Amino acid sequence: MEKNESSGVVASGEYLTFTLGAEEYGMDILKVQEIRGYDSVTKIANSPAFIKGVVNLRGVIVPIVDLRIKFKIGEPTYDQFTVVIILNIGKRVMGIVVDGVSDVIELNSSSMRPAPEFGSILDTRYILGLGTIEDRMIIVVDIEELMTSQEMALIEEAAA
Amino acid sequence: MSIDMSQFYQVFFEETSEHLANMESQLLDLDVENPSLEELNAIFRAAHSIKGGSGTFGFTDMTEVTHVLETLLDRLRKEELQLRPEMVDAFLAAGDILRAQLEHHQGGPAADEEEIKTICARLNQLASGEASAGGEHIDAAPAVVARVIALQCTLPEDIAGHAGDVDNLLAGLSEIAAVTVKHRPSAGAPRLSATLTTLKADAEIRDALSFYVASDAVSITPGEAPDEVASAGAGDADGAYGFFDDEPAASTTAPVIAPSAASVAEDPGYGLFDDEPAPAVVAAPAADPGFGFFDDEPPAAAAAAGSVNVVSAGISEEVDKQGAYGLFEDAAGKPEHLADRSTTSSDAPAAIEGQGYGIFVNAPNGTGMFDNAPGAPKMAASSAASGVATAPEDKSPGRRVTDNPGVETAKVGRRDNDKTATVANADTSIRVSVEKVDQLINLVGELVITQAMLAEAADGFDPVKAERLLSGIELLSRNTRDLQESVMSIRMLPMSMVFSRFPRVVRDLAGKLNKQIEMKTIGENTELDKGLIEKIADPMNHLVRNSLDHGIETPEKRVAAGKNPKGTLTLKASHQGGNVVIEVIDDGGGLNRDKILSKAKEKGLPNIHDGMTDHEVWQLIFAPGFSTADQVTDVSGRGVGMDVVKRNIEGMGGKVELESSTGHGTRTIIRLPLTLAILDGMSVGVGGNTFIVPLTAIVESLQPKLEDIRTMAGDSRMVHIRGEYLPFVSLAEVMGLQGLEDITKGIVMVIESEDGKAALFVDELLGQHQVVIKSLEANYRKVDGISGATIMGDGSVAMILDLSAVTRMGLSHAQRNDLNKRLAA
Repeated sequence: MEKNESSGVVASGEYLTFTLGAEEYGMDILKVQEIRGYDSVTKIANSPAFIKGVVNLRGVIVPIVDLRIKFKIGEPTYDQFTVVIILNIGKRVMGIVVDGVSDVIELNSSSMRPAPEFGSILDTRYILGLGTIEDRMIIVVDIEELMTSQEMALIEEAAA
Repeated sequence: MSIDMSQFYQVFFEETSEHLANMESQLLDLDVENPSLEELNAIFRAAHSIKGGSGTFGFTDMTEVTHVLETLLDRLRKEELQLRPEMVDAFLAAGDILRAQLEHHQGGPAADEEEIKTICARLNQLASGEASAGGEHIDAAPAVVARVIALQCTLPEDIAGHAGDVDNLLAGLSEIAAVTVKHRPSAGAPRLSATLTTLKADAEIRDALSFYVASDAVSITPGEAPDEVASAGAGDADGAYGFFDDEPAASTTAPVIAPSAASVAEDPGYGLFDDEPAPAVVAAPAADPGFGFFDDEPPAAAAAAGSVNVVSAGISEEVDKQGAYGLFEDAAGKPEHLADRSTTSSDAPAAIEGQGYGIFVNAPNGTGMFDNAPGAPKMAASSAASGVATAPEDKSPGRRVTDNPGVETAKVGRRDNDKTATVANADTSIRVSVEKVDQLINLVGELVITQAMLAEAADGFDPVKAERLLSGIELLSRNTRDLQESVMSIRMLPMSMVFSRFPRVVRDLAGKLNKQIEMKTIGENTELDKGLIEKIADPMNHLVRNSLDHGIETPEKRVAAGKNPKGTLTLKASHQGGNVVIEVIDDGGGLNRDKILSKAKEKGLPNIHDGMTDHEVWQLIFAPGFSTADQVTDVSGRGVGMDVVKRNIEGMGGKVELESSTGHGTRTIIRLPLTLAILDGMSVGVGGNTFIVPLTAIVESLQPKLEDIRTMAGDSRMVHIRGEYLPFVSLAEVMGLQGLEDITKGIVMVIESEDGKAALFVDELLGQHQVVIKSLEANYRKVDGISGATIMGDGSVAMILDLSAVTRMGLSHAQRNDLNKRLAA
């Protein structure tokens, strides 16, 4: 994904959209490894609530983050419809729990608007822009930046 | 050459270091008094393979060293020379040079030129010294710079008139020198005039002639003999052999000593090429009717045109004429010649390049191994490339999977023409990259989990109805278990891989320190994970050096103490439970408690007092910068070492212990887990979660009675077990879980960690497993109290406890409160 640093607007590409509560988000589809259902996780002691724990993904221990808890959107319920998106970021594999996965869309830079600056739980640092498709507003997140950020506490350096 | 040889370099480097290691260990095992032919042959083969390989890849510096090495070895195995201890020393030193050269080719610092020269000269001297005394001159002309001398004598008439005798004489001469006959004696003209290029002393040449002519009648002067016109009698030689017919000046040649040139003439279609520069000159015109490899070779052609008849030196052996395709004969012992005539010897290969047949015959051996003379790397390469190409593509550091890891043998895919050698060390191993093995281990781990899941699912079936399914699952579980075991064993290597490097270290150090030391190894077949084998070598090296330098005393001191002047260093490996125990034992002076204590006080280490137990005192040795050595030697004593040893070993999940008895020796005990990848663990349940406790840390487990739980200062709880008060640590509290309220319903495990004993309270014991350790940090981060994770039989993830961290967390209230605050935030 190419990013124009000054405006925070991304060049065109394919995005996977997912929902958290009533909001629709998009992320670079190339970061997605797979989408699977929610299995029971093994809790990790003394970790923040949004880190649900780890699962065994074909022999690999993968941490699972519930974005709904992290962003305080929607109800964190876990049933057969709960979706986990497994991401491949850098050399790491991690999973995020979302309310649902809706679409793969193509967004070009003309349909992307920079996100307005205002205080929100989701720091605008992690928002690449707002995409519009028909009436839908898609919040395009820089998933790599978000997942490796300090506040996610997923990575050693950030854990300190 | 179209093939880029550099892609095979890695294979060569690996092979060569194996050969070197092999050679070294065999040298060390060699019984100097009574060397077995087999051992000598094995050493020779190793040297020979290095020579072949280095020649193939154009590492001529190595080829040169191995060549002189080989020359001496060859004489030894032919029993022409008696093995002497200094020879073994020289061989070992040459091995070191080769290793340095190998490192240089791998990008390391250049090997010391001076040293190379010294060692080559030493080997040469050893090879030739005996040669002059023994008077046998078969093939091992040593590679010292040859002299050019003129030989003139007048033969008695009866000998000069007999062509056969003259031939014999020249043949005899040619065994010790490259002979250029200027005037061949014949019935009418009994004078012999020849230019000799030889390594031998004048006296030896006279000796060689003594059968035919009185030695004082032989005139030997430096420089070339004057050219003379060929005379009658030359025809005799021609008639007998008849291959220089179209070469007028060849009439003065004594054909019997140019066998390889003869082969060329007889078998022109294949172009036998003799690497010895001298015959190459002769061979040039002779090869003409065939492919004419040397046609465009100006120096050779010029030499031929100049009608200088060079007769092959006797040092090259008869080449098997049936050996059809491009035979290359090694000119044993004449690298200088090649260098001198670089135009000839290095251009010639270029001409033959791409012919690509290449059976390289080592004529003296008759075994048909590759034999690459120093000047001929390229052509060696051209044929070897096809063989080497079958080597594994993966150039990443691999390990050798082998049925018998101790035996290093020739590689499959190389030297496919070489029947004898390959059969002799029938090869049973292949080289596979570690990643592939690890991937295999992972996959098998998955299979085991899947199998366990299947078995669990099938548990509920009616055994009558589902009999076949159940028996199938039963079979599957047995097979997967076997499979897992075999796959895991791929990563296991015998301890001999580590031990084998020490005989050399001990030998060298004992010499340096003037001590007599015998090394013993016990249990070298004990297997250990490859990763651990690699890491254990360094710490062991430290320990061995320490034992030799500080432990074992000098012979005088030993005798004075009533001990055998020869000290013993024992390296021992054994299995103990889930651990591999490695011991380094010396029968030296032992640790000096007072000295350590005073040194510790001097250094200002904390908590030093005279009432310390021996065990505590010994532990001081592991403090950074601690050394009791009175003087720093280049062996040890700088005080870096033991702390590194300890850190390294603990990094591997192991432990170091010391036992010492003054006057009787020291024993260093290293305990290591069998493998980094597998852990023997006890699974415990706490608040519905499963944790794995390393089995090695568990002393006992019991159900506590309420009255055994005591408190101290209000809320620090302790358990009274067998007279000991152990701190009570609740795993549920540490992990922030809801555990059992009623202590008497749970289980207390007495665990032993670095920080001492503690009583770990858990809800229940679930069972004992061998678990595969998975990193939590690969995708997540380090978690306090957790050393890793594993996947249980049902596919769920369980955490492996880091007991010392758990104990600390449980004990530290401050930390716990801090934790609570953090969680609340």
